Amino acid sequence: MKTRILLPLAGVALLILSGCRTSVNTIENAQKEGQRQMISDSRVITDGSLARKVSFVGVNQTMTPGGLLKIQIELLNRKHSLQRFSYQFQWFDASGMQLTTVASPTIPDQIEGGESKFISSVAPTPACKDFRVKFIEN
Amino acid sequence: MKKTALLSILAAAIPFVVGGCASAHYVETGGRESVVTVGQINIQDYIQAANAATSDLLASGALDKVATPPAVLAISRIVNNTGQQIDTDLLTKKIRIALLNSGKAQTTTTLGLGGTAEDPMAKGLQQENEFANDQKTTRKPDFTLSGKIIQTLASSGSTHQSTYSFQLSLTDAKTGLAVWEGEKEITKQGTRPSVGF
Repeated sequence: MKTRILLPLAGVALLILSGCRTSVNTIENAQKEGQRQMISDSRVITDGSLARKVSFVGVNQTMTPGGLLKIQIELLNRKHSLQRFSYQFQWFDASGMQLTTVASPTIPDQIEGGESKFISSVAPTPACKDFRVKFIEN
Repeated sequence: MKKTALLSILAAAIPFVVGGCASAHYVETGGRESVVTVGQINIQDYIQAANAATSDLLASGALDKVATPPAVLAISRIVNNTGQQIDTDLLTKKIRIALLNSGKAQTTTTLGLGGTAEDPMAKGLQQENEFANDQKTTRKPDFTLSGKIIQTLASSGSTHQSTYSFQLSLTDAKTGLAVWEGEKEITKQGTRPSVGF
């Protein structure tokens, strides 16, 4: 009798757990034509929980035809469930001064379990030389 | 006597307590604390759409292909195909500011749809100047910016979803061809109780 009750409960629990755990499988070309110009980065982690879930793989940069700096960051969800976060790019000129004349939105985003995702931004002016990206868990 | 004094103090304290509960505070515009509504375009949606469009436009290099930079831009029609009344300047002004600050484009304020100038005084002075010098000094726009904002609704049970598509086209004024096109879609989902106020 006890088994009769426990079995359906276990089944429901399994269904709930499997419903929350979805991760992404990927396939890509092994011989890459494009070469990413990776740059060294400096990280400040104050939310260890977020860092354990969504980690930074690397940062690469390029210049647009108009001479603007373009930054791309690769993120990896280390968990098997969807993670929600927000990020914000900040840009700095050659003197290290932040460019506050341009709107820098806080962008809500999400990443599937096990997914590798790229986020990118283009500098608002050719004067931008450095950047900082802030991440916060939603 | 004591009772009256106590009651007076309590009565005086009530507005402070009630007021404290309903206190207002500032939040960062477009930040995480902003109110999100499914059925409306929120300020953070405009900021996001404008930022995405500007980044994409600047990265494309379309504005750099003019003989005498910076490019001159005229704002054309932005069609509102949503169910709400919106001021499209909430989108276009942000794009204009970003393009001006980038040094890649300047927007004319003396040329508008149907011959109406955004700045009539500037247009008057410009015409006066042209008449005095007997020559055209106005630089014609290199590009026009047009677009459309579309709302797509969907619902399933108590879950409601709105997708707002911000579509923009940059047209070469000489050829009439779109040299850049961008679209930013923002989807919001929320639940509404089946029974409630």
